[in-house]
Amino acid sequence: MASHFSGVLKLTDLDDFITPSQECVKPVKLEKKQGESVAKIQIEDDGSYFQINQDGGKQKLEKAKITLNDCLACSGCITSAESVLIAQQSQEEIFKVLRNNKLASATDQVVVVVSVSPQSRASLAARFGMSSSETGRRLTSFLKGLGVHHVFDTGFSRTFSLLESQQEFLERFQRKEQDKSALPMLTSACPGWICYAEKTHGEFILPYISTTRSPQQMMGSLVKDYFAEAQGLSPRQIFHVAVMPCYDKKLEASRPDFYLEEAESREVDLVITSGEVLSMLEQEKVILNEVKAAPLDELFSNVNGGELLSHAGGGSGGYLHHVFTHTAKQLFGEEVKELTYKTLKNKDFQEVTLEKDGVVVLRFASTYGFRNIQNLVQKLKRGKSPYHFVEVMACPSGCLNGGGQLKPLPDQTSKDLLQQVERLYKAETASLPEDDTRVSDLYHSWLHNVGAERARQLLRTQYHGVEKISNGLIIKW
Amino acid sequence: MKDALVLVERFTAHPDSRCWHVAWNPTATLMASCGGDRAIRIWGKEGDSWKCLSVLQDGHQRTVRRVAWSPCGTYLASASFDATTCIWKKKNDDFECLTTLEGHENEVKCVTWAPSGNLLATCSRDKSVWVWEVDEEDEYECVTVINSHTQDVKLVVWHPTLELLASASYDNNICVYKEEDDDWECKATLEGHTSTVWSLTFDPSGQRMASCSDDRTVKIWKCQNIEGPDMTWKCVCTLSGFHERSVYDIAWCRLTGALVTACGDDGVRVFKEDSTADPEQPVFSLAAHVSKAHSQDVNCVAWNPKEAGVLATCSDNGEIAIWKYQDDHE
Repeated sequence: MASHFSGVLKLTDLDDFITPSQECVKPVKLEKKQGESVAKIQIEDDGSYFQINQDGGKQKLEKAKITLNDCLACSGCITSAESVLIAQQSQEEIFKVLRNNKLASATDQVVVVVSVSPQSRASLAARFGMSSSETGRRLTSFLKGLGVHHVFDTGFSRTFSLLESQQEFLERFQRKEQDKSALPMLTSACPGWICYAEKTHGEFILPYISTTRSPQQMMGSLVKDYFAEAQGLSPRQIFHVAVMPCYDKKLEASRPDFYLEEAESREVDLVITSGEVLSMLEQEKVILNEVKAAPLDELFSNVNGGELLSHAGGGSGGYLHHVFTHTAKQLFGEEVKELTYKTLKNKDFQEVTLEKDGVVVLRFASTYGFRNIQNLVQKLKRGKSPYHFVEVMACPSGCLNGGGQLKPLPDQTSKDLLQQVERLYKAETASLPEDDTRVSDLYHSWLHNVGAERARQLLRTQYHGVEKISNGLIIKW
Repeated sequence: MKDALVLVERFTAHPDSRCWHVAWNPTATLMASCGGDRAIRIWGKEGDSWKCLSVLQDGHQRTVRRVAWSPCGTYLASASFDATTCIWKKKNDDFECLTTLEGHENEVKCVTWAPSGNLLATCSRDKSVWVWEVDEEDEYECVTVINSHTQDVKLVVWHPTLELLASASYDNNICVYKEEDDDWECKATLEGHTSTVWSLTFDPSGQRMASCSDDRTVKIWKCQNIEGPDMTWKCVCTLSGFHERSVYDIAWCRLTGALVTACGDDGVRVFKEDSTADPEQPVFSLAAHVSKAHSQDVNCVAWNPKEAGVLATCSDNGEIAIWKYQDDHE
């Protein structure tokens, strides 16, 4: 089976099948019982294993399982074990939850929340020939028809990500003289990039990476903390699904950092891709542009007058754009209306600068795709990176071109499709993060109330370098 | 067989170790070799015999699998199992390490310079092929990372005149790449070998390639429309029955058009093309064969770029041998 992960993850072997040359080095934990030194193992017709004790008693043996988390924490082979992923993170899972909900008693039912990314909306909009907002309304209607309770927009939680990024950047900029790893600040919304950085460049690169949560995980906080509290629900009583343009987002949701220990619940329980939403529609024999539109769920949606809003800048969230314009104004008193992107080596490596009195005071870049990430990391290692801020994305052309987006139709080139998706994405009116009164209200009410430490946990995250394993099994001459 | 392969000289290049590769500099005044001892050795001719001029020892932590001279002869690139590629610059009689290219996840298997000298290609067990660009200040930047193979990539080779790259892999295939629209793309996948493809070589015109494989055959591939958007490659000849083991290396002589192979059966073989045959069905015959060219696997063969018929081989036993191929009809 071909892998769906981004090119960066392919390079770190995350998609790799266990082949004879790359054995899994992750020790499997087994519950060992004392005093049963001699036993036979019998394999049943259905493939299950039974241990036959000396007294003739039979005991079913546990299967050794490698979870997605084991793989994330390992620098060894990393299994493809896509079956693991498919079982834990696919559209089948949401159908299962919705089915169970119909059969369960009122007290056992869970509240199903789906948070849709603006990039996924644009991808579906291109397929069904509608605007992005219209797609949002019809998708809301389709999902609610299946039994989903709330359909939110991660454009709303992205406002938090942009505001936190801006604040973090200002903090880092202030301490850049004392702290050599304060700048450049590298964005953190792309899980493919984070996984690559942790596995390959560990402690060297991690201090540069922004601790701000991605929009998906910001929404995780909003739904499993604020919303749960407001509804009088425990996090476990909410099943939170994110719809994303990217398979790597499934890995992000599985990170232990986003697991609520006490409540035994993930902030995002399931991630499905734009393409998997299309599969859901097909499975239900529904054509999206024939569905009756439903009003948007305005609680956690970036909307104005019933229309969904966007953020200025590129299709990967607009981090560079927002942090640049805000910093220019805040630190240098410059009102930047239009950003001038200078294309460097290729279209996925661009630069934006702010000059004051003939001196460059801000130098920002966007580096998309593995080749550009590679050059960025090498420049940093040699102390030759001139940047203050870099928007880093694993996919060439960024998130609108994510691996989870809809594939081109037979009569479409992928280039034409991407242009169409970009047009639809940009057609939504841009909103200014600092002008969002509902977000600033939440900062005051929700985040102020939980205290500074908890607020930090809800808005920020951390990274963990993966130590390279070197043992006889993986060294090959 | 009237033609013959005559031993000119034999010497130990990497004692108690394997010698993986030997490369002539463009003027054929120097050779570079590398091996399992993590060292690169530079050889020059003194009188009638080859002498070691310098040993480059501190560049790599593990086996050095491949060395390549830049077209200008000033730079040497070395690919190592330590996942890095080193660029060395010749200064008078010595070499200094200019830079280390990092990025491959694990063993780098091969490195090669494009004819312009501005591009460098590397490949690795991590299944990827990378192209690097060199600027005037000797800075290297990664231009592309291509994941067209499903297994270990053994070798990369540039077309003699065009910016066209080919790679050979453990997945039994050959891929051919070109730059298009801002990035490099695999434009053709050549399927036919039934086991690992170990090496590839272009003919002097660049219209054909010869590949050698663990399946003990050599295949000749002919290209149509090499400069157009849709090139196609067709296998026009398979040489089977000549090699008893894996064929590790193959080289097409730019001066004489002869093909030479290095084999795991310790033999070195020279093949000559029948010039009267139909170009769509070329015929190659075995012109010379030394069955025990080395006491162990022959890893590499390299034609001297200036002196017709002279070639170097190296082996698992750590030796380099220089041979003279004498064509009966000359």
